[in-house]
Amino acid sequence: MTALKAAGLVVMFAVALALPALAPDPATTNIAVFTMMYVGLATAWNIMGGYTGYISLGHAGFFGFGSYALGLLLAHFAIAGGYSAFLFVPLAGLLTAVLAAGIGWFALRTRAATFVIVTIAFMFMVQLLAENLVGITGGGRGLSFPVPPWSGGDFNIPYYYAMLALATLGLAISWRIRFSKFGLGLLAIRDDEDKALAVGVPTRAFKLTAFIVSATLVGMIGAVYGYYVTYIYPQFVVDPLIGISMVLMVFLGGLGTLSGPILGAVILEPAQLWLAYHFGASRLYLVLYASVFLLVILLLPRGIIPSVSELITRWRAGAGDSKGAAGGAADPLPKAISP
Amino acid sequence: MRKSLTVAVAGFGLTLAACGGTTPTAAPSPGTPITIGVSVSLTGDFSGDGKALEQGYDLWAQDVNAKGGLLNHKVTMKYVDDASSTQQVVTNYTNLITSDKVDLVFGPFSSLLTIPASTVVDRYGYAFPEPAGGGPSVFNRGLNSIFFVQPASVEDNLVSYTKWLLSLPAGQRPATAAYATQDDPFTQPQVDKAKSLLEAGGITTSYYKVYPAETHDFTALAQQVVNSKADAVILGTQLPDALAFPQAFAQQHYNPKTIIETTGPDQGASFSGPLGANTEGIMVPAGWTPSATAYGNDKFVNEFIAKYGGAAADISADAAEAYSVGQVVDQASARANSIDNGKLISQLHTGTYNTVQGPMSFDATGKPQGGVGVYIEQWQGGQAIFVYPTSVAVKPPEYPKNNWQ
Amino acid sequence: MTRILEAAVLGILTGGVYALMASGLTLIFGVMRIINVGHGALVILGAYLSFAVWHNLGLDPFLTLVITMPVMFGLGVVLQTIFIRPLKTDREALSVLVTYAIALGIEGLLGYFFTSNYVRLRTWYDTASFPVGSFYITYVYVFGFVLCLAILGGLFWMLYRTRFGGAIRATMLNRTAAQLIGVDVDRVSAIAFGIGMATAAAGGVVFGMTNAFNPGSHYDLISRLLTIIVLGGLGSLRGAVIAALVMLVTEDVTSAVTSPVWASFAFFVVLVLVLLVRPQGLYGVRVRDRL
Repeated sequence: MTALKAAGLVVMFAVALALPALAPDPATTNIAVFTMMYVGLATAWNIMGGYTGYISLGHAGFFGFGSYALGLLLAHFAIAGGYSAFLFVPLAGLLTAVLAAGIGWFALRTRAATFVIVTIAFMFMVQLLAENLVGITGGGRGLSFPVPPWSGGDFNIPYYYAMLALATLGLAISWRIRFSKFGLGLLAIRDDEDKALAVGVPTRAFKLTAFIVSATLVGMIGAVYGYYVTYIYPQFVVDPLIGISMVLMVFLGGLGTLSGPILGAVILEPAQLWLAYHFGASRLYLVLYASVFLLVILLLPRGIIPSVSELITRWRAGAGDSKGAAGGAADPLPKAISP
Repeated sequence: MRKSLTVAVAGFGLTLAACGGTTPTAAPSPGTPITIGVSVSLTGDFSGDGKALEQGYDLWAQDVNAKGGLLNHKVTMKYVDDASSTQQVVTNYTNLITSDKVDLVFGPFSSLLTIPASTVVDRYGYAFPEPAGGGPSVFNRGLNSIFFVQPASVEDNLVSYTKWLLSLPAGQRPATAAYATQDDPFTQPQVDKAKSLLEAGGITTSYYKVYPAETHDFTALAQQVVNSKADAVILGTQLPDALAFPQAFAQQHYNPKTIIETTGPDQGASFSGPLGANTEGIMVPAGWTPSATAYGNDKFVNEFIAKYGGAAADISADAAEAYSVGQVVDQASARANSIDNGKLISQLHTGTYNTVQGPMSFDATGKPQGGVGVYIEQWQGGQAIFVYPTSVAVKPPEYPKNNWQ
Repeated sequence: MTRILEAAVLGILTGGVYALMASGLTLIFGVMRIINVGHGALVILGAYLSFAVWHNLGLDPFLTLVITMPVMFGLGVVLQTIFIRPLKTDREALSVLVTYAIALGIEGLLGYFFTSNYVRLRTWYDTASFPVGSFYITYVYVFGFVLCLAILGGLFWMLYRTRFGGAIRATMLNRTAAQLIGVDVDRVSAIAFGIGMATAAAGGVVFGMTNAFNPGSHYDLISRLLTIIVLGGLGSLRGAVIAALVMLVTEDVTSAVTSPVWASFAFFVVLVLVLLVRPQGLYGVRVRDRL
């Protein structure tokens, strides 16, 4: 990695770390918590959807499961609100991993469109279980989290850092995978699974691993979310909208890239919260949101990062080569290029 | 990578720019206009109720401004849509308080949304008078800033009904009862309490079922109630199932002697529209009915019709509940001679307040008490009227209810 | 025992509606290889269009189809041409997002024009029913079922007995080959989408007569429709019909035998079990790189 890229990363991370100091206003930190949440979710989803090409629309199931897992753990061990509750988040992640292993074993027997729909089905099964196992989850009456005693203005800050930590973890894992043999295997699966299998890539094991890693991260993020809103209900925490949003963000930013999911989340989540707040009352907010959605997909089908990179490459080739556009016609590798 | 970095940092910058400064908590100087912030469900599952709340709040703001304002502060209402979602309601109240810096807040629709919102509102020291969050979990979180503005705590809603049933002469009393309820924090506690009271009074339970709030197809459930052939049917419903059950009963030619639903039949046109004449005989616990004679109610009803049209029977109870919230705050601020949130919170825990739902006061956790309790309202001939207790009844209860077509 | 029978009958009657809605969805997948997650919203749109006609012109809901089906057909052709045809790469994934956006847009517009109050298509014969043993069967369900059979029959007839139907089937089998033999696949796709929308309109009417609905009702619908077409085998019309009947009967019988609470769960369990044995669904075709 070049020195410039490293410097850029450091700057970005420093800004993220310092955000609560730069803008301590609770309205902003609230947006920051949700935005960082989606940065993590998009990055985690990308590990499965971006690298293997298996589009899961059911990740909201893991999100909700992680939430319930943490809530139940905190209740079981009678943990009061405060910093110690965060220590149980990895445990919630572990439980989510177990669930993901089970669901993944079933779901990965199918491919492409069937896989998509099967993940949706499993998500609704998780939601139904949350609703019906009333003795455990409280069903429609919801599940309460212990409320930390932090005061008004500062309340959001620990949650922001928790989300930042998870997002950073997700990004680190994604990066590690991307430049490893494992990652190469995943990309091979995306390009042509049967050929990959023929060449000796252990496709089933690789797919399952990516699925579990992706789901575990999502589960931990869900756990912190539940703790943040302090009270969860099945239909709001296993919410198809959350699942679709993370997918849209990855597509917006660039499927399979490293910074694409971050970009997608940073653009879409504040925009969604802002739109909902200012236009929700007029009911046309959904139409506006849908229009943005459609514009993005139709104009930038490959996402911002790949499209922009391509533009830059072509411009550079055009400027540096006296023969003009011909030089830029050598297309970069599909999707798998610049992080 | 470089390009994406720039955009990402710019993204953070944008969020920075969208913020404001710190949050002052001083009360506004006398005479200045104030803003009251509310998160209402204008889209999503609760949107019918949300709209009614908005109408009630608006009508109250209009009335209070006509007499000079809240302690001489003209009131502007600010609404934001929470899309019936817990994530959005948390964001909404955070933004209303810290970004829009509203002076006061009123509550959203349903216990479901009130519970997460209440922790946020309490965190900033604001008073939270709310019209529609009355499930037991609302009050057991250790907050003292919530005030549930309805005549009685939710789990007692069906107590009047059980009293009436058990007061019937032995020959007429229903022998069996069927209970079906959502596992909603509002509906289930009421139905469970009614069941224990009626069982203690000698009415056998022939069917009892708790179903998930997210159920969308009630035909099978309704069929099971029909098969139980119970004399009395007690349903813990919100509006969608309140509509579906009677419809299915009519199709199966099942006419229980008495039927009561926890909410739905009190929603005026939203209930009678889809059901038509088959609203006949359906009861609902209600703290309010258009024809009640409580404080300021006829003025409220007349003004509502003048502003929004329709007939008295079309007015939803939610609108009256919202209006009551305003009335309570109006009276509390007059007594405390201040609209400072801290002072309002202390004031609201003492004294009795007069509303279109009758008189009420609040205990330490914000539960209403000392109110006259909840009455029974029944649809007769296309009108919803109070039928019990006799002190407020316009007509006697129709029992057994007339058959549906 | 009678309860199980009652449940099975109810399952078949409601299964017909779902079969109709699912057939449009699977046809769209088969021809265009896209997953139309907006199909539920389209059904609700059809229901609202019928509601508007019924409310303003006083027509019987079934008769409103004369207006709504052609309108929805035209709308479908337009939507496909503008939003779906441009998708060239990553079809399946992007189509999910595009159709979801369409669904959101429809939900927003419907909420704006009709508010979010629950409505239902009512008729004077709403609660009329005839007894069968100890059980009453509502006429509305029967009429709806007959309508669904009629339209499905028409669909099958068109697909297997007309030239255009042949073109559709060719495109479903192999898009490129169809192009090579001279089929205008773009036109076929647009018309297939239109047909899918028209069947959604019909499904919407029956759905709207038997359920109270509002703009947000499409989420429940779409999850069940997607499950049905996967069970039946993506792209198979026969599969969609049979799967719909199987699913609804299973759900209603489970509800009668155990509890309504677990009925929806049974729905998905059936899917999982079938996919364990046959990942391509009942009538799906296992193709190596595309399933």
